[in-house]
Amino acid sequence: MVWTKWSYMDHWVTETPQGPQPPSFNRAYMDRYVKQLSALGFTGFDTFFFYLPLYAGMYGGVPGFERFLQDNGFDKITGIFSAYPSATRYTAPHVRETHDRIVADCENTLRMCEGLTGVENFIVMPTSTHHQTEPVTDDTIKVVADLWNRVGALTLQHGMKTTCHFEFWGAIRTREQLDTFFRHTDPELVFFFCDTAQHTIAGVDPVQMFRDYSDRCTGFHFKDTKNVDEHEAYRTPPDPELMAPQVTRWFYEMGEGGLVDFPALMKEIVASGYDGWLTVEHDKAELGGGSYAEATAVAKWYIDNVLAEAEAEARAELETAR
Amino acid sequence: MKDTLRWAYALNQWNVRLDVFVRHEDQQRALKTVSACGFDTIELASGTGRWDNISRPEVILLNHGSHQGFLDFLRRAQVRGVSSVFWDPQAPTEEEEGYAFRSTANPADADAIVEWSKPFVDFVAGVGADQLVVRPVGSAWMTPPLDADGIKVVADVWNRIGERTAAAGIGLALHYDCLGAVHTHAELTGLLEATDPATVGFALDTAELTVGGIDPVAFYREHADRVTHVHLKDTRYADTGEEYRMPGAESTMLKGGAGRRIERWFYELGTEGGLVDVPGFVAALREHGYPGWVVVESDHGGNPAELAMLNSWYLQRVLGVAK
Amino acid sequence: MSDERAIKWSYMDHWRSNGPAGPVDQWHSHRTMSAFLKQIKAVGFDAIDTFDFRIWQMYGDYGGPAKYQEMVQDHGLERIVNTFHAADYDVRNYAPHLPETHENILEDFRVTMGRWSEIELDNIIVMPATLYYDMEPVTEDKLKYSAECWNKVGEITAGSGVRLTCHHEFFCGIQSEPDIDTFYSYTDPRYVSLFVDTAQHCIAGVDPVALYDRHAHRVSGFHFKDTRNVATGDDHRHRPDSEIMAPTTGKWFHEMGTDQGLVDFAAMMTAVRDNGYRGWISVEHDKANKEGGDYSESTAISRWYAKNVLEEIYR
Repeated sequence: MVWTKWSYMDHWVTETPQGPQPPSFNRAYMDRYVKQLSALGFTGFDTFFFYLPLYAGMYGGVPGFERFLQDNGFDKITGIFSAYPSATRYTAPHVRETHDRIVADCENTLRMCEGLTGVENFIVMPTSTHHQTEPVTDDTIKVVADLWNRVGALTLQHGMKTTCHFEFWGAIRTREQLDTFFRHTDPELVFFFCDTAQHTIAGVDPVQMFRDYSDRCTGFHFKDTKNVDEHEAYRTPPDPELMAPQVTRWFYEMGEGGLVDFPALMKEIVASGYDGWLTVEHDKAELGGGSYAEATAVAKWYIDNVLAEAEAEARAELETAR
Repeated sequence: MKDTLRWAYALNQWNVRLDVFVRHEDQQRALKTVSACGFDTIELASGTGRWDNISRPEVILLNHGSHQGFLDFLRRAQVRGVSSVFWDPQAPTEEEEGYAFRSTANPADADAIVEWSKPFVDFVAGVGADQLVVRPVGSAWMTPPLDADGIKVVADVWNRIGERTAAAGIGLALHYDCLGAVHTHAELTGLLEATDPATVGFALDTAELTVGGIDPVAFYREHADRVTHVHLKDTRYADTGEEYRMPGAESTMLKGGAGRRIERWFYELGTEGGLVDVPGFVAALREHGYPGWVVVESDHGGNPAELAMLNSWYLQRVLGVAK
Repeated sequence: MSDERAIKWSYMDHWRSNGPAGPVDQWHSHRTMSAFLKQIKAVGFDAIDTFDFRIWQMYGDYGGPAKYQEMVQDHGLERIVNTFHAADYDVRNYAPHLPETHENILEDFRVTMGRWSEIELDNIIVMPATLYYDMEPVTEDKLKYSAECWNKVGEITAGSGVRLTCHHEFFCGIQSEPDIDTFYSYTDPRYVSLFVDTAQHCIAGVDPVALYDRHAHRVSGFHFKDTRNVATGDDHRHRPDSEIMAPTTGKWFHEMGTDQGLVDFAAMMTAVRDNGYRGWISVEHDKANKEGGDYSESTAISRWYAKNVLEEIYR
């Protein structure tokens, strides 16, 4: 058996007469984008909460957008990503007084998703930037955990699992902080989303992290990196992801000689019995002259060849063990 | 540019997406490009969040420590200063109540918008710029048509902000764009009449007026006393009359998503088939001794460096401006 | 005003812009050529350099070099200053270190100079040797034969009022410091000049400033460009083209003023001043669009650097 549930995270940039733009430039560009993903064999689609109004406008509602995906061979929209990367006076996960507002925002997002086939993950960045949140104490993490427990209960009513995606520059980034966070959150309400590159940059082994939290893991971003943050880049204000002095590009597609051991992760996933979606994410693939189309094709080649082999090996081992 | 007119260049075309134009070295490259093209003054455009760090006043200050720190940053590339900052209070930003959607057409929003103007007024004054250039009202397709009373509601907000800009020693210029709810010649004139000429000026954008069906040269001649700011760019198309009312006109009209499928409206000076009489317009500015900034723009175009260089060539070789 | 300047700036003919069908060079159409020339002029270049092989497009698309130069002038630029003779070296019939191929080379230059006779060029630039792997081992005899070849070619080009000048790519047969010095010791200063490419020499491990100082009396021009890498191992002998195939480096060339650039342009410009050089300096961007680069931007930034850094030293 070959893993069929591959989804694509909605970062994409393409040349337009107005310069490099996301394909939401217009519907003709969306057609081309979705056809490319479909041709490669992606059947799930993850997107950002802030794209929903745009897609709704272009396709007469988010369900209309999903039908467009389905007409092009997709199963459904699989995940919605929501985030407050910058803390503001109005929205900051580590500030309890802003939680009502964040919950209300999430309700709005959930409302936009009504009528969809079945979004599985409501993916969140649990915190804002580290530099705005520090000092990060147990109490800070407890406040953040309380928020996502609330949101988790809410999204479950809509059939979605609230699942936490940790940035290397977020306030919960070390293994110890991750463990604290998961201790404070309800395993029935708050889940784990494993971004292979982000954990690696933060010095956390994503394979071990998955091994330890596989019972709470509901998804992955398969992307690679060539750097561990060794210079406290995560504390760079206002933004470590694009402004770190030592590293101009953090993220790469699979198969380009990065640090993440994807075959090992794939084997671990098979061994765990996980049967959900696996998501490919390319964030800022255009840096240094890269192209989203090529990065995505190369990553899918890696899936179809290298990861398929790892998966087959893992299944054979399972079979033998039986 | 060595001229009696004051020329500046807008940086908006470099900042075309959420996650670009963030690293300081990228910004230095843009500033050097503008400088090599003969411009020593720039216009900034508002944005939001940590990645808009040459756009949002609070984030600029976080990056450079102070107004002077930011000016020092510009001067590393031999860019002397800032002519103006563009701000659209209708564009939701995290700094403004965490993405609140407010409109100058809604009287209930007026107090909040006046309050939101503060960081911009402070920043424009702090960096020694001349004008706060604003989008006076949101897109036409998002609101019912404005009657005279509706225009007065909008004007009142800007009169209040005009008091603040005047107190800070800077100008306030209302910028017409081809999608705005103040669209026709009559509506635009109505808005200008409803605002205080002592504190509220007009930012005339040659291409936007042309797309909107208003002749920029004639309009300038009629209202030269109110024009305190200029955006100079060209277009190859004019709205057929109602395209700006299409739902989602930012995309359906300006990105070719529907209708005539025109995927680029705005062009560099000297473009083939350009509709703006640029020499005629600049001559009119000279006739009236226009004292403000003329900001050359290449927004909604292609490669920003290429467009800046083509615009510079046009100024030097067609308009005869010495570099 | 321009006559008061000791140094004028020319732009060497490499360019790409993005069109609807992907990246194209400026020779793609009259429109792309016009846009190119406008951009070069806008940021303050005075003239352009070109390649010999462009002559076919000049004849085919513009009616010949003189007509093409009129178009250049219509855009506010002075003229075409230099041409680069990019020959296809071949040890069977076209290799300066092999005397039996010399007559073929000489005939090529007789024909070439005829083609350019409509306009006045300063230099015809050559890579004076075959690719390194076609010339090795580089012996004194081979350097001597090469020198003899270029002495004769130089005499031909001088007959047309054009200087023959040698541009030493890091991957050509004459690229090390001793080989370059030996080569010039055998060439006739009346007929063979040196064209200093700052990046190519740096990549080959040769200090371009010291090289220039030693041969200043014979230098007839410059390519000012930068690099971040020195060639190591057998970078200089990779088939078919080390500039593209060398394993250590994906992008060899960067514009002046680039971060981590190896060329000391301030020292270079000081040497240009101290040697009393007057005339043209060419800026070259070769493969500037690699790894996310952009020709327009690199060109503006290099002219910014020339104006704000180099012209402060000498202009």
